[in-house]
Amino acid sequence: MVPSNNLIVSLKDVVAGYTTTGKGWRSLFKHVNVVLKNINLRVYDGERIAIIGESGSGKTTLLKVILGLLKPVSGRVEVLGKEIYRFSWSERVNILKQIGYVPQDPYKALNPKLRVKTIISEPLESTNTEPEEIEGRVREVIRMVQLSDKILDKYPGELSGGMMQRVLIARSIIHDPEILILDEPTSALDVSIQAQIIELINNIHKKLELAILTVTHDLGVAQYLSNRAVILYRGNIVEEGYIDEIITKPKHEYTNLLIASYKASI
Amino acid sequence: MVLAVKARDLRVGYVDEEENILWAVKGISFEVSQGEVFCLVGESGCGKSTIGNTITGILPPYAVTEGELHIFDKLVIKGNQRNYSGIRGRVVSYVPQNPGTSLNPYQTIGTQLYYVLNSVYGWDKKKSLDVAKKYLSLVELDPEDTIDRYPHELSGGMQQRAAIAIALSTGAKIIVADEPTSALDAHLRLQLIKLLMKLKESESLTLVMITHDLVAAGKICDTVAVVYAGKILEKCSGSNVIVEPLHPYTQMLADAVPLLGFKRHLRSIPGEPPKPDEEIPGCVFAPRCPLVFGKCVEPPPYVKAYGGEVACWRYVSGAKQ
Repeated sequence: MVPSNNLIVSLKDVVAGYTTTGKGWRSLFKHVNVVLKNINLRVYDGERIAIIGESGSGKTTLLKVILGLLKPVSGRVEVLGKEIYRFSWSERVNILKQIGYVPQDPYKALNPKLRVKTIISEPLESTNTEPEEIEGRVREVIRMVQLSDKILDKYPGELSGGMMQRVLIARSIIHDPEILILDEPTSALDVSIQAQIIELINNIHKKLELAILTVTHDLGVAQYLSNRAVILYRGNIVEEGYIDEIITKPKHEYTNLLIASYKASI
Repeated sequence: MVLAVKARDLRVGYVDEEENILWAVKGISFEVSQGEVFCLVGESGCGKSTIGNTITGILPPYAVTEGELHIFDKLVIKGNQRNYSGIRGRVVSYVPQNPGTSLNPYQTIGTQLYYVLNSVYGWDKKKSLDVAKKYLSLVELDPEDTIDRYPHELSGGMQQRAAIAIALSTGAKIIVADEPTSALDAHLRLQLIKLLMKLKESESLTLVMITHDLVAAGKICDTVAVVYAGKILEKCSGSNVIVEPLHPYTQMLADAVPLLGFKRHLRSIPGEPPKPDEEIPGCVFAPRCPLVFGKCVEPPPYVKAYGGEVACWRYVSGAKQ
């Protein structure tokens, strides 16, 4: 699918971090540990973009900012043209319903006490959707992620890692979002399931024509899940462009090091 | 040649709530020489971590064993009798899968090293911390800077190094590392691979690596054992696991690896590995194997082929006729 010019997510000059305080009397003083430094990022409708960086580079903080969970120190964060941090929490949540999110570790992300059916239908629970319609949507997305209806009554503990990841993906698309955000979607999975999940995500992208933003530390996976990539290093975007060009002609020293390291380790 | 680990027809299972034994490891035999880097690769749930936990001696009390396991000269498992005294922690040590969650978040790295050294050698805090600094230097961390830091103050790569320092501090000669590279990016993965290779030489270590990272396994391992459904399907040299895999399962695993700059269709393995309680007569991979034929209903023997060892009827002369 060819990406359109409609902006889904836009970050302009975003600086974000975490507030820390000292112990004892020092707790009166607050200090912001800046993690993201002047981030500019645009995600267009229908495009596949990867954010690549090592642990501690600010990938998760960037996701928190986009997901409305961490107000930046400065800068503008727009989702579907609305500056989300200017709205109240409840209004912000309504805007953010246009985002589907797949968290990092499927083994930890699913509530072990809920049945798969309840987990998948959760994003629709707070809407005015009729129960019959929810039931229909659950069955529709479960087929889309190539799982059998039989697992709907099971608990997460009865599923394999690959099935859990598919359940998380089903939950993330049930409310028909404009963008799907995947946090390290394959890092907890072995290579065979990784290949299945990559294929599944790309099929969903074709079918639903939504934007896909993948956060990963794995360049090999990124080349299958994105057309465009952003390299994040120590809170800065150090390189941005088409993934194939980044792999063949890296411009920044860190990107070069990442690719050279990958080649040296095979 | 001194053998660091020797397993003979080793079976490891877990007793469930209904007193049934679910066998996770179903009769495996292998040898690891001193100074060797031995890798266990395979899909999740195939028994890799159970083998690693068995070598380390950290099986839960409800585990059941059969067969034999030797660590250097000591017989640690004979049937369902297990005796790891003097071995667990002292000779074999363990680097956990995710150091971010396995290091104690309430203690500094120095304190965690102190507890290990104190329990193993009985040293006081001052001496323990002095020695701790040596181990932190060994894993290329700045000892003065790291010793007073809490795990959350370290990056993923630094946490991994701190976990290796803790494992080494007992003076262990066999290190079992569970998925040491899976959470690291390419740069940190290469650094860790180099570090492990350096430590192997300088500390005369034997490394048992559990991984689904075939690329890392191929790069650093002397021998790779491909594990599936609690059995070893293939043993080969590290360089052959991706270049010349023998077993159809290994070939399919290699075809599923995304390689940078070489965009090909990633072939996944259809279906899922069998559950521990599922008994498959014949070749355990037959239900998922694209090359299955009549003979596969019988258990395949281990045959030597192309410098490796494989449990597949395709390599038994005359079997396909």
